[in-house]
Amino acid sequence: MSDKKKSLTVFKSDRHEDVAAILASALIVVVVLTYMAFIVPSVGIKASQDGKLVEIFVTEGADVKKGDKLYALEVVKKKWVNNVMEEKIAVESFTAKANGKVLKVSGKPGDSLKKGKQTIVVLEHEKGTLP
Amino acid sequence: MEDKGLFGKILAIVPGLAVMIGTLYVLRVYVEPWMKDAVVFGSKGWLVQVLSLNYILLSILTGMFYRNILFGGKIPTWAEEGFRTTRLFIKTGVIMLGSLYTFDKLLKVGGVAIALIVAFVFGTALFVLWLGKRLGADRSVTATMAAACGVCGVSAAVATAPGVRAKPVDLALSIATILGFGIMTMFVSPFIGKMLSLSDYQFGAWVGTGILNSGQVLATCLAFNPNFAPGTAVAYGEIWNVVRVLCIPFVVFFITAWYWKGEADAEHVSLGSILASKFPIFVLGFIGMTALSSLHIIGAEGSETLHLMRDVMAWVFGIGLVGLGAYIDVREIKAAGGTPLRIGLIAGVSKYVIAMIIILAFIPKEGAF
Repeated sequence: MSDKKKSLTVFKSDRHEDVAAILASALIVVVVLTYMAFIVPSVGIKASQDGKLVEIFVTEGADVKKGDKLYALEVVKKKWVNNVMEEKIAVESFTAKANGKVLKVSGKPGDSLKKGKQTIVVLEHEKGTLP
Repeated sequence: MEDKGLFGKILAIVPGLAVMIGTLYVLRVYVEPWMKDAVVFGSKGWLVQVLSLNYILLSILTGMFYRNILFGGKIPTWAEEGFRTTRLFIKTGVIMLGSLYTFDKLLKVGGVAIALIVAFVFGTALFVLWLGKRLGADRSVTATMAAACGVCGVSAAVATAPGVRAKPVDLALSIATILGFGIMTMFVSPFIGKMLSLSDYQFGAWVGTGILNSGQVLATCLAFNPNFAPGTAVAYGEIWNVVRVLCIPFVVFFITAWYWKGEADAEHVSLGSILASKFPIFVLGFIGMTALSSLHIIGAEGSETLHLMRDVMAWVFGIGLVGLGAYIDVREIKAAGGTPLRIGLIAGVSKYVIAMIIILAFIPKEGAF
């Protein structure tokens, strides 16, 4: 396997490939964080799981702080208890991950939402924070 | 490649890489959404729900199609360099997976993972050394197979081969045998997992223990549950995988030491020098990513930032998995007959089944996080 033709990597050695992978992942992290913190002015917040929208705690134009409640979702929670899957309906609140201002409220209580599909709230976040 | 210079080398990578990225783009953007809506046998989404076909399995299958049918068994020269970036993508993805954990979560399952993996890795290596002797296999073939079956199909076998003077053909056959077994388990395991109602925790632990190759562990976990999030099969499977990868230098040393005992003139190598040359340092990147996650530097759980990071991670893995498929040569697997095949199948099946029994008996359904 020492023959270059049979090598499984484009790098000089596996060790070089490992270093390249570390650098590549570091670059991806830096690009994603910079993009989200400084380039994206606002984010459309979507449901992080399937459920029914129960309540929206913010209004358009309102300022929010990190940790403030944005919306509440009725979800089916699944949990293994004593090796049996238990399902129960629960209402969960979801909070802002950064300080910012509510630009638009698109969701309405009663909406059935699919994970990652419809936007509930559009939030303009403070430059330099991670929404 | 040697005379092309850096720019020439980068240019040589472009065509093959473009094929891998383009393939994944078509699969994720057009084929997978179409499959979710397609009505087969009167049932919407049958392909996804019953056959568990998602972009992960499709990426591998398409890669296999390229190599074995479209390219006639060999990756063409124009695409070769690009396809050699496969492992870079898989390693980069594994490092990024570190973002799914915090150190306290790793500690919660780390002890169980270490105990199971160390027992299985060294148990399998010892079993193969014994089996090779029973079957009268050449010592270097036995040593390579012990590394391949014990810890990882490719990395450990390649790392062990020079120390035990394995012939290239024996190494190639050992790898082909192990990868062949891995491919079979990669497609079968999600069905078995669902049939036995395994939880994500149990499935990750089983696959991380019973399947031999990093890419295949990831692909199998994602075929069972395609989500990247704490508590999913891939999150648990990866802890087992990282522990197993960390065992590589120790297994290489153990097997090389076994080889010296029977070969008076064999080269003596110290554990220190093996650690220095074979330690998989990309694992340090994984730990670094977990450190960033523990310090909440890469975004809060549930944030759009982390959502984007995981989406990028899915693309990185997907590109690597198209390449992984393209390295599966059906003819090589067919050629891996004889003793390596018997050793590989006996050791592989035993490990796979015993791991399942232990997981069912001792690993609870509810995960640690």
